[in-house]
Amino acid sequence: MILMDLKEFDLIYNKNRVEIKNKNEIKTKLIKLIGKSNISDEEVDLLAYTKDDTLISMNWTIQGKIAALPDFITWPENKEQISAILNLANIEKIPIIPFAEGSGVVGGAIPIYGGIILDMKKFNKIIELNNKNLTVTAQTGINGMNLERYLNAKGYTLGHIPQSLYTSSLGGWIAHRAAGQFSTKYGKIEDIVLGMEVVLPQGNVINFKTIARASTGPQIDKIFIGAEGTLGIVTEATLKIWPYPEKRALISYAFPTIEDSFEAVREILREHIFPAVIRIYDKSETDRHFEHIEKAKNKVMVVFVCEGNQNLVDLEESITRENCVKNSGVDCGEEPVKHWFETRFKVTETSSMPPYKIVFDTIEVASMWENTSKIYHEVIDSVSEIKGILLITAHISHFYPNGVGLYFSFGGVAPKEKTDFEFYQECWNATIKAVVKAGGSIAHHHGIGINRSHWMNDEWGEAYTLIKKVKEVLDPNNILNPGKLYVDTWKGGEN
Amino acid sequence: MSAFDTLKKYKWMLPLLQKADRDIRSILMKNFRLKEKDFYPEGEYKADVKNLINCMLCPNMCRFDCGTLQASKTETMSPAYKAMIGYYLTMGKIDPMDQENKAFIDLMYKCTNEENCKIWCPFDFSVVSLLETVREDLNDKNLMPEYCKEQIEKLKNTNTIEDYNIFETYTKEGIENIETDGNDDVFYYIGCESMKFPELVKSNIELLKKAGIKFSTNLDNKVCCGGPAFNIRDLKTAKDFATKNKALIEKTGAKTIISDCPGCVLTLTNRYQEVGIEINTKIIHIIEYVKQLLDENKLKFEKNLPEEYNNITIHDPCLIVRNLNDTTSIRAILNKVPGLEISEPIFNKDSVHCCGWSGTAHWADRGLAIKEAKNRVNELKETGSNIFLSACPLCELGLAYGIGEKDKEKIKIIDISELLIKAL
Repeated sequence: MILMDLKEFDLIYNKNRVEIKNKNEIKTKLIKLIGKSNISDEEVDLLAYTKDDTLISMNWTIQGKIAALPDFITWPENKEQISAILNLANIEKIPIIPFAEGSGVVGGAIPIYGGIILDMKKFNKIIELNNKNLTVTAQTGINGMNLERYLNAKGYTLGHIPQSLYTSSLGGWIAHRAAGQFSTKYGKIEDIVLGMEVVLPQGNVINFKTIARASTGPQIDKIFIGAEGTLGIVTEATLKIWPYPEKRALISYAFPTIEDSFEAVREILREHIFPAVIRIYDKSETDRHFEHIEKAKNKVMVVFVCEGNQNLVDLEESITRENCVKNSGVDCGEEPVKHWFETRFKVTETSSMPPYKIVFDTIEVASMWENTSKIYHEVIDSVSEIKGILLITAHISHFYPNGVGLYFSFGGVAPKEKTDFEFYQECWNATIKAVVKAGGSIAHHHGIGINRSHWMNDEWGEAYTLIKKVKEVLDPNNILNPGKLYVDTWKGGEN
Repeated sequence: MSAFDTLKKYKWMLPLLQKADRDIRSILMKNFRLKEKDFYPEGEYKADVKNLINCMLCPNMCRFDCGTLQASKTETMSPAYKAMIGYYLTMGKIDPMDQENKAFIDLMYKCTNEENCKIWCPFDFSVVSLLETVREDLNDKNLMPEYCKEQIEKLKNTNTIEDYNIFETYTKEGIENIETDGNDDVFYYIGCESMKFPELVKSNIELLKKAGIKFSTNLDNKVCCGGPAFNIRDLKTAKDFATKNKALIEKTGAKTIISDCPGCVLTLTNRYQEVGIEINTKIIHIIEYVKQLLDENKLKFEKNLPEEYNNITIHDPCLIVRNLNDTTSIRAILNKVPGLEISEPIFNKDSVHCCGWSGTAHWADRGLAIKEAKNRVNELKETGSNIFLSACPLCELGLAYGIGEKDKEKIKIIDISELLIKAL
């Protein structure tokens, strides 16, 4: 039974909605626990928390559909209030959905079972900047750009600059095990977090001491990084920071084939050289983004940004160039990199496609070097086979000496016999299936959410049972963000 | 736009279309053809539907700099959500006529017009420019909220944005009024809100006198610029005020209009054009004029500032830095004041955060506007200076609401004119 107001909106995730019989009573209890101004069940607020930035939800939005509908929105002001909400939810068996900026792209913050949204926006304080230790401690509801702007003003950078920097939160980065565009130098969020405060599903608060490194048993703190709000709510984190770079070198080369570009980058990294940004665009994306660069016609564009200490940057630049030339790269100068800097936050595709009922999305996956080329071609080939597909392209933007993160973009229209959602799921499944077959990993930095949970068993094998057991121990009533990570909500994507 | 034009615009899709199966091509062509039928309202409307769609489907790229979102800390106040509600109200998906949906209508007014969203917008518009088009449709349906109707009533009854004609208070406040003889060099155009700060007005008058300018203030005939009516989108009332002001300005014969309120400057220039009224006289904010007077040595600093004023924090009015595009005048003036130390907050110049008191938000949700003011006061406090200096009466009003009880004795908010007069 679907219990909801806003009846004029079709509800997409409508099968698992939990019925809250005593809503008035729950509301009264919530008001008593966290105050009237920190809770709402008004339609104008509920509707604001029905989706995240999963791109199919943009199609639903223009079509007047909503992904899911919560029952209450709460805005706790401190960890005690979070504990109190969790205690109530455990007693009443009500789902709790942690939410901050709602910028996830795999459905992690969508309240598919209804329940209580726990919006972390009031946890937006910067607690301490420590110059000696090179750390910043902040509450996790803080917006990424606001944290980075603060650090820049004080002469530092976090070095964690995802494309969602303007629209995402520190908590979201930790929840989804995020990576930024400058991650090849500065690391991913799990490399950046040094300490955390977490409220566990049953309300108790634990602290992981801030330390550069310790040998104090297994790293249990790491299970909360990437847990997508299912094992606890991270309320505070201490992060590594860096002095703002004194020099930047902007380098670009065009390569005859994607394999040439892979080799160039692999050889750079083998020499322990870590440009902050490396971005390989396949031929289709090169044509789309660098049409104005004559030398890049029908080639693979690679942009590099080396930054930091001047002497170090000079050395990195020199070794980067040597390896590019060695692998048939043609120097395209600074312009392509400047173009990337100018356009990297100009996100217009999400708005321009849905009015034409074009289904569009991006899927990032991970690979070791030995499988990278195979994964790239297998995904392009298998998604190209899907009826209705118009576009399948890739860029590769996260690198390690041992492997890469590949980022595919697809677009198309649903054929007559399929809904938008079915077509969308078909594209997702074809991509992930090809990745698994070619020996890759199903996600690089967007997380699992709803879209990938049915692939977790293939990804984790027996270890999936282990993490499910951990979930049962920590959250026996399954109140924290249900329907994600451990549950096949898409039913294998067959809907 | 015809299907052909649309296709031309999205030419990068053409090779993809050519490669697609015939039936897929046909579906896509149909989608292009039916876009307006499927997703645009029927009948007449003023809402900017195209950009409401662009905004509501954007991942909220401006959210981190939206003052009302940062103040309320609710997703409800996010720019893309406001656009989405504007779209649904326009489409009738949310019925604007239903009393139960009043909260959705109110959301269309919860914006402070600070327009820093425009800096980050991939489409280069401000959210308020979209919300205003929705307000016009709401007005056409007689759905103007009561708090807006009250402002329009005040304008009509008192010719100002107050319950009484605030310009008539000049005698009581000791403000000198200079009526025009029809041959002024300058018309010092005092804003309604400026009249709440008599020292600001008196300082400006004294400053103009020291520079030997022939000017008038015309407070016996002065009316509001009509800015609030433009914000509410009651364009008939707005035009009435534009007409009255044009007549008064022409009567002065002034070569230059200078105002102490950037809202007035913006209204007299850009916004009057929206109702077809153009004033062919130079209209500038007073700081631009004072800078000029200093450059021409018509004003000279001859006194030392009292010690307590030696260190000030600048709060840039968003209307000056983002709408009038002037980040330099205020600093050029202050840099000439002997012994003055200037503190800059992290968010300054065209990155400034709003005082909370612009636009319609402070009528629609006073608590929200006060929260935004508090946020800004906290940013200003970080500089360590206890004198907050601005050049906009609305900012000075808003910031005052943002100062907590314990800081009220410690922090002073002053207009630039009040500081300058101490050193001239």
